[in-house]
Amino acid sequence: MYIKQIFSKRPRTKLDQLVGAAITFCRCFHAEQIRPEDNGLPIVHHSKYVCELPANHRFPMGKFPRVLHFLLKDQVITDKQVWVPEIASQHLLSGVHTDEYLDNFINGKINEQEQRRTGFPWSEGIVRRCRYETGGTVLAAEIALQRGLACSTAGGTHHAFPSYGSGFCLLNDLAVAAKYLTGKSPLKRKVLIVDLDVHQGDGTAFIFKEESCVFTFSVHCGKNFPLRKQQSDLDVSVEDGMEDKEYLSTVEAHLPWLLDTFRPDLVLYDAGVDPHWEDELGRLRLTDQGLYQRDLYVMKSVVTRGVPVATVIGGGYSRDIDKLAIRHSIVHRAATQVWRECGM
Amino acid sequence: MGEMDAAEFDDVVDDWFIESLKTYKDLHVYQLEHPTRVIEWTSGKTVCVAGYRSAKNELLELLLPLKLLAEENKGLCAERDFKVVHGGFAEGPVHCLRHIPGTRCAVTNDGRSSGLQVWDLGGDDSDVIRRTASVAGRSASGRGSRIAAGLSSDPRVLHGAESSDVLLTDLTSGQSVYKLKSDAADPLSSLQFVSDSVFLACCCSGNIYTVDTRASDAPRPSPPPATGGGDGVLWCADASPSSAGGAGRVARLSSSGEAVLSDLRDLGGAVSRARLDVLIDHHNWDDVKVSWAPALDDCIAASGFSGTVQIYDTSAWAAEPAAARPLFEHRGHVVSSQRADSLPVLVTSHVWHPERPRTLLSAAADGSVHVWDWVDQSAAAC
Repeated sequence: MYIKQIFSKRPRTKLDQLVGAAITFCRCFHAEQIRPEDNGLPIVHHSKYVCELPANHRFPMGKFPRVLHFLLKDQVITDKQVWVPEIASQHLLSGVHTDEYLDNFINGKINEQEQRRTGFPWSEGIVRRCRYETGGTVLAAEIALQRGLACSTAGGTHHAFPSYGSGFCLLNDLAVAAKYLTGKSPLKRKVLIVDLDVHQGDGTAFIFKEESCVFTFSVHCGKNFPLRKQQSDLDVSVEDGMEDKEYLSTVEAHLPWLLDTFRPDLVLYDAGVDPHWEDELGRLRLTDQGLYQRDLYVMKSVVTRGVPVATVIGGGYSRDIDKLAIRHSIVHRAATQVWRECGM
Repeated sequence: MGEMDAAEFDDVVDDWFIESLKTYKDLHVYQLEHPTRVIEWTSGKTVCVAGYRSAKNELLELLLPLKLLAEENKGLCAERDFKVVHGGFAEGPVHCLRHIPGTRCAVTNDGRSSGLQVWDLGGDDSDVIRRTASVAGRSASGRGSRIAAGLSSDPRVLHGAESSDVLLTDLTSGQSVYKLKSDAADPLSSLQFVSDSVFLACCCSGNIYTVDTRASDAPRPSPPPATGGGDGVLWCADASPSSAGGAGRVARLSSSGEAVLSDLRDLGGAVSRARLDVLIDHHNWDDVKVSWAPALDDCIAASGFSGTVQIYDTSAWAAEPAAARPLFEHRGHVVSSQRADSLPVLVTSHVWHPERPRTLLSAAADGSVHVWDWVDQSAAAC
């Protein structure tokens, strides 16, 4: 009875929409667990975002579960808001990555030289966690299209190229999500990727260089990795030491007109916290407040234009995992404020 | 390496950057306007560097990045760069620079005459390094003098270009308080106090004079133990600091890459030796340097053969010389040096941090100065 009503021509009631949506949800979300009843900000998280790393490895793997931990502990969210992604299938990944790379990657045939450039020794665990992370970004984007806003507790692996990984990035989650969600011609969606990680989103820029439906926008520090830059659709390279006020002005100078001219159907926002002054690798000087204002500004600008936005945590590098995780949770806190203020 | 375009070069640096996240605990890179051949500690947190161009050169006292020095709360220190805290100008090149412990005084030599310049490094009220005096040398050889700071409480400086002209000068009075009696005009590679009254005069020939300033007779030099290297081999040396484990050892390093460890009381004999993994094809002997780690048992650093600094663990060395592999090699200067057709960059100097076991500073001919805290991969669990 209800299924028929979805396809009928009469005006849809709210109930119809809800039920129809539930069925659509189950069919369309790449999720292990969905939360259609919860009215709070959707958070995407998987316990398998982490894997074991060799002792003393510098990548702060522990940060992902800690981000969720602090959001729950500080009562920013409840666990009812947490959606759990499916692992990204090889088919999904092949929208961006070459079959050869995926085959080598999944089956452990990455040579030592290639592994070195990624910063990770190969393991089945690392493959699995990267696939879940990518799945998380895809799910966040799908939810955003339905709900308007969604935030992953991971993501932002923008240094991965179609056939190789680099700089702690093995699969390009933003690219996979953007590619999947632009969909097929002739009704391709337009996706804007706003990458405010302190490092240029070189992989993403390269992947979408010729793709007019995906616009890549990166604000990064010129002197940070990678020195070999790619060409995003819009690159803004800033000087070392830039602080809150100037940084925010820089974002404000570009984002509104980009939204108004490109008119995306979806925004993917990489809210990397490595522009923070305490970041061990980033060369900028943002404060916690600066990051919060930045995230609030980006999300509000997008949401108030009626455009959905999905966020990923992006880069952050510190040996104090808890401090880093709290910093990463800034975007979720800002998103909660946007959710409330915009009556979502 | 051949011609490389800018993008390929950037790739090399990017690769090394990712690698460095694993191989260093800390790494800070600084670019001086002009290269230095000297790095000298003036406190636990400051070093002096100086240019060596033929005419006017800057002397700079640099404060190490605070981020490096903070053990806890690393995040609280925004300063990641070296900071110039004092500066001055020298009329000529600076080839040797020594800080007099317990003072704000430094002594330099220009590498082309035997005299010394004495400097006041400045205090909190001034950021200027000023020249305050000169000390005459004895030699007219046109060679530069080596310098060593005295270890006694009076500010004294030991200096000389050859074994026949070594003087110990009191800086307060300007008078010489000791002259080394030697007829052999053996060019020196270094001078070093091993106690208040005993110093080593290390010659390029490999001879080392052990001199007790209280004794009246002329000291006899100890030649280096015979090695495979032929004639024309030059030597540098370093005595391990009295605070370090295994004190009383001297490491000699030859221009052919042979390293010899001797007991201080028997410099003619060899406790152990090794052939270092270095390129012998260099043209500048002056910058080759070997030094004991002040806070890491049995470790030495060697530089000047190429653009790298190598750390060796000598505990595994045997009496018979064998090829040794470095425990660690700092390649930062090679990777980040100017590219394409320029000459391969050479490391001009290195020093160990006096207390932190694996922290060193190094400088290269392209003006780069690095401070690095390396990870002992052999000790890390896999």
